[in-house]
Amino acid sequence: MTTDSLVFAVSCTAKPIGARILQKERQLGEFLAEVERRALRIAEIAVRDRDEAMDLVQDAMIKLARNYSGRGREEWPPLFYRILQNGVRDWHRRQMVRNRVMVWFQRSRSDDNDQDLIASAPDPIGRSPDEELQNSEAMRDMESAVHELPIRQREAFMLRTFEGLDVRGTAAAMGCSQGSVKTHYSRAVHTLREKLGEHWQ
Amino acid sequence: MNKTEEQLAHDAKEAFDRSVDRLDAATLSRLNRSRQAALAEVARPNREWLRWMPATGVAAAVLLAVVVLRGAGDINSIGAPVADLDILLSEESIEMLEELEFYSWLDTQELEGDGDVG
Repeated sequence: MTTDSLVFAVSCTAKPIGARILQKERQLGEFLAEVERRALRIAEIAVRDRDEAMDLVQDAMIKLARNYSGRGREEWPPLFYRILQNGVRDWHRRQMVRNRVMVWFQRSRSDDNDQDLIASAPDPIGRSPDEELQNSEAMRDMESAVHELPIRQREAFMLRTFEGLDVRGTAAAMGCSQGSVKTHYSRAVHTLREKLGEHWQ
Repeated sequence: MNKTEEQLAHDAKEAFDRSVDRLDAATLSRLNRSRQAALAEVARPNREWLRWMPATGVAAAVLLAVVVLRGAGDINSIGAPVADLDILLSEESIEMLEELEFYSWLDTQELEGDGDVG
């Protein structure tokens, strides 16, 4: 093969940089569209505030795109949730500091933020009011119980149950061993069963 | 995991999925905007190294200042190399280099003269 024909062959097979970026952007867009709603709800259960959860999810999206868009598609779920979980932990740390400062200044937190966003949202699926009430109450009980779990148990339960990550992916997202994930998950389910009761839902 | 725990996880997942399906249009719109903002980062070149530029510049300036100041302080203590420099820069030395063959011949004559005396 001559040099000219080799150069021609390479130029025909190799994708231009612009095309590669567009393809990666499209793949990442599909991934984010797939996980964003569940990620929002997971963050919302963890921080009990939709606006804060939205900020955390957006931050995780941007960090994933900025730092890990070049990684393979299969690596994105654990990376994304690891960024999100780190954001949630940082949020809790900031809240602790803020609460200490508030206590120092003897201010009490307003209960105005405890608005039930789920109850006030319209139902696009069109369930009956009774079903709607029953579902809302069941979800509220479950959210409350999950929120009260220790942070590692909550992470393991939400990533395994809600997001459907396997043990390996959950361990990568939590930054711990697979054995730890199994332990945290088992304890979380045990605690939830005790709190919610046998006849929950 | 016994059946009750499996059932609880299953029911929890169902309740969670329903809550995801019930997200309102305004929230979905905000998520869409967040996604578009994130995707804009993919095409943007990574300028992470620019964050280190000020620190690198300061470090380089400090290093240069140290080298210059230490170099200026040591000039008098160099000794021999500076003396060589003086010789090389002096007029006489250059003339000597130009007439190196003459001095070489003169040296041999002196040696021969010494031999005659001895």
